[in-house]
Amino acid sequence: MIERMDKPYFEDYAVDMPLPSIDFGPMDRFDYIPIALILRDTNPLHLDRVYAQERGLHDVVQQGPLNQAYLYSYFTSLLHNPWDLVGTKMRFAANVFPEDTLSCGGEVLALEPSERGGGVITCAVWQRNQKGEVILKGEASARIPSRS
Amino acid sequence: MTADRTALIGRQLRTATYTVSEVDVKDFLGVVAEPDFAPLDDTEGGAGVGAGLLAPPSFAPFVAVLGLLKTFDWQDDFLFDYRNGTAMFGEQAIEFHRPLVVGESVSIAAAISDVYEKQGKSRFDVIEVTFKIAGEREGDLLMSGQQSYILFK
Repeated sequence: MIERMDKPYFEDYAVDMPLPSIDFGPMDRFDYIPIALILRDTNPLHLDRVYAQERGLHDVVQQGPLNQAYLYSYFTSLLHNPWDLVGTKMRFAANVFPEDTLSCGGEVLALEPSERGGGVITCAVWQRNQKGEVILKGEASARIPSRS
Repeated sequence: MTADRTALIGRQLRTATYTVSEVDVKDFLGVVAEPDFAPLDDTEGGAGVGAGLLAPPSFAPFVAVLGLLKTFDWQDDFLFDYRNGTAMFGEQAIEFHRPLVVGESVSIAAAISDVYEKQGKSRFDVIEVTFKIAGEREGDLLMSGQQSYILFK
């Protein structure tokens, strides 16, 4: 659960500045049922522990879009308007399993001021599990208003 | 013998549609808490997600993934046996042009833009798909981007 926090303005950011990190979890296998229904994807790899174990995994695998959703939720929680999101680029690096805790964070890569005030911020973003393994990594960019 | 998928480059996939349903968004918000997008509260005076209101950006990957899955057949378009093979998502890039509205129908157009083989711990093909997700009005683009699929050999 993301708590509301003070939203930084464009002037508050600087290149190489770390973004605050937020933890999500532990992940709950029962969440995979509504997610499977939303995705219309009942692949047993996400729902059937025995099926997953027969394929060499210790448990069912959390759906990739759900991993992404937590990282999106994290990044957009920093924005004044969540739909100021401009773009994302993400690579799926590892699986998430029930009871995992996901830590999301990032760092400012670039700032592009706008003539109208504020500007676009581009950040490296990442998601790691409790063992420090990278689950998702990539970039996200968003419009940030000016304080004035 | 494994399939040569390079001949798939340039293939236009079928156009699919998806309705950003209130039920899906509510179910999603039951899993991923989004303080700015509370689920519809049925009590008097309650406010939240409903028709005409916005879905959170965190729901966007679901629309992209779900929409794209409707644009292709694993066997016919990717020459891949989904029942016995192993596939996973690779990279995804999305550019956002406007917010997603709960209740709206969107169309997803996609094409295979590249196919190449890579060697990690095992050998696999990467299929890159370029997509556009649009609203019902002409020129109303919501999202555009690329999604890659990893198909293990």
